[in-house]
Amino acid sequence: MNAQQTNTAHTPVAQTVIVVGVSKVFNVGKPSEVSALTDINLTIEPGEFISLIGPSGCGKSTLLRLIANLIEPTEGAVSVNGKTAAQARVDQDYGMAFQQSGLFDWRTVQKNIELPLELKGWDKSRRAARAQEMLELVKLPEFARHMPWQLSGGMQQRVAIARALSAHPQLLLMDEPFGALDEMTREHMQAELLQICDVTETTVVFVTHSIPEAVYLSDRVVVMSPRPGRITEIIDIDLGRDRDQDTREDDTFYSSITVVREALRRVEDGTAGVRPRSGIDDR
Amino acid sequence: MTQRGIQRVVLFAIALFVGALIWELYKVVGPEDGGSIFGWQLIPKSNDRAMPHTWDIVDRLGQPESAALDEPIWRTILGYSWYTFRLALVGLVAGVIIGTSIAVLAARYSIAERAIMPWVVMSQTVPLIALAPQVVSWSGKFELFGWEWQRWMSVSLLAAFLSFFPIAVGTLRGLKSAPPAALELMDSYAASWWRTLVKLRFPAAIPHIVPAAKLAATLSVVGVIVSEVSTGVTGGIGRAVISYQQTASGDPTKPYAAVLGAAVLGLGLYGLVVLADVFLMRNRPQEADA
Amino acid sequence: MSAVTAPDPATHPGATVASSPSGVVQKAWSIAWPPLAFGLAFVLLWEAAVKGFDLKPYFLPAPSSVIDAFFSNIDNVWSAARVSGTNAFVGLVAGAAVGVALSFALMRFDLLNLLVSPVAVALNAIPIVVIVALFSTMYPSTSEIPRRLMVTIIVNFIVLINVSKGLRQVNRIHLELLRSLAASPSDVLIKARIPNAVPYFFTSLKIAAPTAVITAFVSEYFGGRQNGLGYFIPSNFANSKTAIAWAYVIGACLLGLAFYLISILMEYITQHKRGPAPGGA
Repeated sequence: MNAQQTNTAHTPVAQTVIVVGVSKVFNVGKPSEVSALTDINLTIEPGEFISLIGPSGCGKSTLLRLIANLIEPTEGAVSVNGKTAAQARVDQDYGMAFQQSGLFDWRTVQKNIELPLELKGWDKSRRAARAQEMLELVKLPEFARHMPWQLSGGMQQRVAIARALSAHPQLLLMDEPFGALDEMTREHMQAELLQICDVTETTVVFVTHSIPEAVYLSDRVVVMSPRPGRITEIIDIDLGRDRDQDTREDDTFYSSITVVREALRRVEDGTAGVRPRSGIDDR
Repeated sequence: MTQRGIQRVVLFAIALFVGALIWELYKVVGPEDGGSIFGWQLIPKSNDRAMPHTWDIVDRLGQPESAALDEPIWRTILGYSWYTFRLALVGLVAGVIIGTSIAVLAARYSIAERAIMPWVVMSQTVPLIALAPQVVSWSGKFELFGWEWQRWMSVSLLAAFLSFFPIAVGTLRGLKSAPPAALELMDSYAASWWRTLVKLRFPAAIPHIVPAAKLAATLSVVGVIVSEVSTGVTGGIGRAVISYQQTASGDPTKPYAAVLGAAVLGLGLYGLVVLADVFLMRNRPQEADA
Repeated sequence: MSAVTAPDPATHPGATVASSPSGVVQKAWSIAWPPLAFGLAFVLLWEAAVKGFDLKPYFLPAPSSVIDAFFSNIDNVWSAARVSGTNAFVGLVAGAAVGVALSFALMRFDLLNLLVSPVAVALNAIPIVVIVALFSTMYPSTSEIPRRLMVTIIVNFIVLINVSKGLRQVNRIHLELLRSLAASPSDVLIKARIPNAVPYFFTSLKIAAPTAVITAFVSEYFGGRQNGLGYFIPSNFANSKTAIAWAYVIGACLLGLAFYLISILMEYITQHKRGPAPGGA
């Protein structure tokens, strides 16, 4: 089931997200001026799963929002699917999920999933069909008529993910979506997310605080540090594409966690440098 | 914060000016004797007796209440307002005391809450003002420890009646709003219920009591004004409004002066509550204004 | 995969899964009996005090004579209640309509918002009911319009403040979500702001409905025809016909209660699907 075909025909080589020389300063010129990000360079390949991790204030959520075009960069440019981030947003090229599920409590589960499709102008039957398809994907088919308050936190987040993917975007942006869930549910949701993204072949940019979560989910982990916000390291995770709950017992899993943890310690100690910007490393 | 306040006052003054402009504009274009829409006499009369010019209204403030007197009416009116203010203040204070007591009782004994609060809530839906004359009839016939019940006390009692209900509701909600974790902390100190009340529940309740007190202040003022009318108490602004209105055909701008006096009175009592609010909440993080 | 769980008490306190019919009746009774018992005890005490202390009727009539007077005068009470009630109703509907319209206008036109907001705040502090006295010179002396106008104004501000809050205070996540979906401002208005504001509207009605009754009542003190509850109650008290006066008082209480219950019913009918904590003041 290749859900990507409905979208623009992209050559597989084209990169999904390119961030070049981006910096973001809030409240420019005022006494409350704060530099959230400096000189960010990042390229994300189609189908990749990238995590952004780092201590508070490192700018990971800001970076995510720059990619989403919810805010504009002070310097530099973001391109998504070969367009500017602004154009990508207007074309509804990505889906987004937040820490709070953000479901509209006056709409049923199904109608919540249909929201992006309504905004795209789809007609009623097409929306309903797609919503049902998404509910199957997140394994909640019998809850179409339920109201959000009747669902548990994990289930609400699954609906939020279904909503984010309902228009089959190529890109999924997630801001700590599992942050409010307990550990068991979290691990469960992580496995489910990987399965879903496997099926839909979506590129994912995932912001998290949790090292095991970042390692479990990602192809690459982007380590960031604050003051000023910047990327210090990008770590490849060598766990292959077929991950399941057994992967958590893998030696590679633990060693990768250690690598990321040490990178973060370097951030803490202040011994982390700025990642050198070179053609090869910048993959 | 005061910059905000000044901004508000200026904006209010501008709004008043715009209002006066609309008033005069209507006087120019509106029908002298009123008009109807679909057979209902909805359009107000615009002649000078029904809607005096704004400058005439302002002018009137400088003249005396009646030909026989000397002092300008604004002084007289302020005197009435002051009289009513004191009654309303007594009523409000009494209302706060009664309301708080009921709330504490309801917080302490849940059966009391379940039995009394529905009545408290329901009482907010009915015009208790209606009972003013009944309460007044007790004056002169009632002695409490050799202390005779005065007419004005009936008025204040009514104001207390009206204002204690929102206070009771708001205070109870506030007392119950203490976070469970904080209550457990007090338990771990083996603090008695009353200690917990003083040290935890009451401070937690203040943000809920203040808006209730603002509402209670308004109700107290309205209560006193209306009670003056039905109890025959003289010297207050309520009585002034009615008696000026009755002579409005001869002196159309006088009622406006009385209304202004009532407005000043309301602002005064409300202002007191706001001051108390500022004082009580001075150490707390300010909520962003809705 | 988990089945539907009961609503998480941490996020939805007070939510209960639907229970059987006998469970509902049992619950209703456990809520109702304390206040009923209290009310009954109060009335009995009152009756005993009047009879025991031999209180004169002008001082305080006995509940039994009040109930008697109520039923023997029920036609008069009803027609007086009809007058006050109609004024309240007309003002409530008109005020709600103007309030909603104005809240949309304020959202759209910042200048209007700038001018109207301080007025709304100031009017909170002022006993504006006195301006009924001013209205009565602008209309024929037999007109009910001044009273209805007064109710309209007061209801309008209640509804305005609450609905404005509902339109403005939308969950930030919802706004971000809609922006990420490239929603236009009118999309945001229709899909997020208005649904968000609906519970605020019904909350404001719950406050405005009894307030409308009280305002209609109090307005009758400041002139106009002598045909409503606000006339008959004081005049009967003035003539020492206290039992009859109390009968009208009961009428006024029933009127206020009726308005309140209807507003609660309206809220329930439209809102109960949304879940236990639909929001609103």
